[in-house]
Amino acid sequence: MTEFPITRPHAQVHFGVFFQGVNHTTVWSDPESGSQTDFATFERVIRTAERGLFDAFFLGEGLRLRESRGALHDLDVVGRPDAITQLAALAAITTHIGLVATQNTTYSDPAELARRLQSLDVLSGGRAAWNVVTTDNAWTGANFRRGGYLDHALRYERAQGQLNIARQIWDAFPDGTGAPAGSGSSDGTVAHVSEHSALFEVELDPTTPRSPQGHPIIFQAGDSPQGRDFAAANADVIFSRHGSVLADALEFAADVRRRAVAAGRPEDDVKIFPGTGIIVGDTPADAEERARWVRWNQVTPATALSIVGNIWGEDLSGYDPDGPLPAHDPVVEELGGERGSSTTGARTREIAAQWRALAEAEHLSIRELVIRNNSERGFQGTPTSVAEDLIRWVRTGAVDGFNISPWIVPSGLDDIVDRVVPELQERGAYPTSYTGTTLRHHLGLRAPLTRRTAVGAA
Amino acid sequence: MPSSPFFVGLDADGAGAHPAAAAVTGLSGADLVSGARLARTVRQAENAGLTFVSFADALLPAVPGSPAAARLDSVTRAAFVSRTTTAIGLVPQVPTTYPEPFHVAAQLASLDIAAAGRGGWVASVTRDAATADAYGRAVVGDLAREARDVVQVVRDLWDSWEDDAVVRDVATGRYIDRDRLHYVDFVGESFSVKGPLITPRPPQGQLVVLAADGDVAPAVGSPARPGPAEQLVDVTLVGGAGVSTAIGNAAAARERSPLAGINIEVVLDAGGRTGAERLAELRASTPAGVRSTWDTRALQHVGSAAGLVQLLTDLATPGPDGHRPVDGVRLLPAVLDVDLPVLARDVLPTLRAARLVAAPRPGATLRESLGLPRPANRYDVRAPAAAVSV
Repeated sequence: MTEFPITRPHAQVHFGVFFQGVNHTTVWSDPESGSQTDFATFERVIRTAERGLFDAFFLGEGLRLRESRGALHDLDVVGRPDAITQLAALAAITTHIGLVATQNTTYSDPAELARRLQSLDVLSGGRAAWNVVTTDNAWTGANFRRGGYLDHALRYERAQGQLNIARQIWDAFPDGTGAPAGSGSSDGTVAHVSEHSALFEVELDPTTPRSPQGHPIIFQAGDSPQGRDFAAANADVIFSRHGSVLADALEFAADVRRRAVAAGRPEDDVKIFPGTGIIVGDTPADAEERARWVRWNQVTPATALSIVGNIWGEDLSGYDPDGPLPAHDPVVEELGGERGSSTTGARTREIAAQWRALAEAEHLSIRELVIRNNSERGFQGTPTSVAEDLIRWVRTGAVDGFNISPWIVPSGLDDIVDRVVPELQERGAYPTSYTGTTLRHHLGLRAPLTRRTAVGAA
Repeated sequence: MPSSPFFVGLDADGAGAHPAAAAVTGLSGADLVSGARLARTVRQAENAGLTFVSFADALLPAVPGSPAAARLDSVTRAAFVSRTTTAIGLVPQVPTTYPEPFHVAAQLASLDIAAAGRGGWVASVTRDAATADAYGRAVVGDLAREARDVVQVVRDLWDSWEDDAVVRDVATGRYIDRDRLHYVDFVGESFSVKGPLITPRPPQGQLVVLAADGDVAPAVGSPARPGPAEQLVDVTLVGGAGVSTAIGNAAAARERSPLAGINIEVVLDAGGRTGAERLAELRASTPAGVRSTWDTRALQHVGSAAGLVQLLTDLATPGPDGHRPVDGVRLLPAVLDVDLPVLARDVLPTLRAARLVAAPRPGATLRESLGLPRPANRYDVRAPAAAVSV
């Protein structure tokens, strides 16, 4: 493809797995679908991922159960564990795979959160990461001591301050005290941490030594200009939404690299991992059929009506999911916080107009429209064609790896590990064994940003 | 016959409960926080037949600036060993004073899920003002009242999902039944929480809540909570300068919680040295500027394993009225690596042989090991009384 030249001919494909927490894309109705809560489900997924030499296992976070028009939303998979607690349990039964905890900066206290992340990092031998997310709405704040105290414009300022304090805490112990015995001296004293700013008043003596990877790895998932700047300045990995169209992914990658350089970093310092789904079949037609089946089952009639009703701001459960969109306009201007931060403030009439145009152009029912909107995420094909697609994405420089959301648990990674990974390995585009034990090593990252001159990459 | 087994818990924090434990053992910060060491210690405690291990904790170090004061978060430690053990209870200490109750509830529920019902919680209070500075908050004045509100709302949140809230009703597309999830709408004196929790009800329904006597104020009735005040603490831990004082404190604590046990600091004869010699060395090695001292509120046993066996036998043997003086003990070993082997070799086997204590069964919940019932859900309208009339 001359349109997208291969710029990194030796780049390897990397995989992470995102164990979906709250979502409507896991086909829980399938007979093969296991518990979404039992530890055994998480255990099987992470063991499969580690067998497949994945870099990392991700858990999300949400701090209030979603609602639809004032009632708890009852159609989605819901009920997830606290990420750091669950990952600590998983750390003891795995040896190599990275452990990524999504943790909100608004409703956590910096000293406590930094300590919990570092605790996971030490116990796992240097495999922890923090996916930094922000929220500001009072709806989420209703579960916390301070309530909805933070102005929307300050959410990234708060995140930056929180990260700065975390880094001071992670840097406080003298070198060597957290490393394996015999690898360094434990002389010296622990630095005191002091931060006094508009948003923080923090004074403490830390208790947590460094792990073999120095700091937990920083992930960031925001896609707004502010979010991209935050990632360019701080993150080791950006968990992007640009994983469907190669041209779009390349544009995103160029933007992230420009921003990283502007932030004074090497352009390859921020690794790009779009979220994606992968569906394989024995033949192209078989894969297509499976993909269609999965998409159809991800969107039940009730879910389709709920998603459209959420934009229209009213209960559409009496509508025919196989019929057309409502003829009238949405009754609300924009979405509140009750569906989660990613949709807060969305302008409903614009979305409705776009959907209506698409439905008319392609003659789609309500359910077909929702399925159509969901269907652009990911890769499908034979193991060979999927492997070749993934390699093209990595070697054109669009991405560094993929964060896979299985459409079913616990068996959803089996095909990928058993059929796609060997194809990648045959093409020399995937490792055949772990070559290190830290997440920093798997991702090929340099030393933590605050310690570039002090220590080398792990 | 006593209705519940006599429990023997052990605090398994760091180098040991004495502030000089790290200094006398020469353990480095890295040793103190090593996952391998943690897993080995807890496995040893499980093999010894102990009912539970607790993990003492505080946000700030006992000795500011000292790498030997290294310590990891307690819930994270407990979760780490949840899958390397099968029988022993795992009981992190989590303060009620500054952490977010919503996070505490989710973390502990998650621990109980990972540990298949072996989770507990030492609900403690934080007295020093330095911790308030670390959180950037005003110092909490009424610690017991704040602890009461936090334990109350955490318990509410654990019940905010009924056990069978996940219905997976393919016909209607409903994953959960929203009628089986509940807003807790808690309004305390210093904070409020809406709920429900993000994590389902833990396997035990309610984790076992332990607290030092007096740390958690008793629940009070309110218009929102008619009926008898709830017991917020399952196991009250008492101290006392002497055995009879401690027994008296436990008897008084039983009025306020289902079970009462005695905290006992132990410095055992070991390695050819007497407990008294070891304690003298620990005292001499205590670092300057240490924040916490060897807790003089606990009962102490300094001496032989046989002497400790005798003390525990006295505490575990029912009197003429059929009741034990106390329901159990939590041992605070001065130095874990020295005292735990003696407990495992010379103390617990003797008590088990005399049928005074029983090792927890693999797969048993901590509630089962302590003889505590699994509580009904406070929000379940199909409560036993209602069920009878159906």
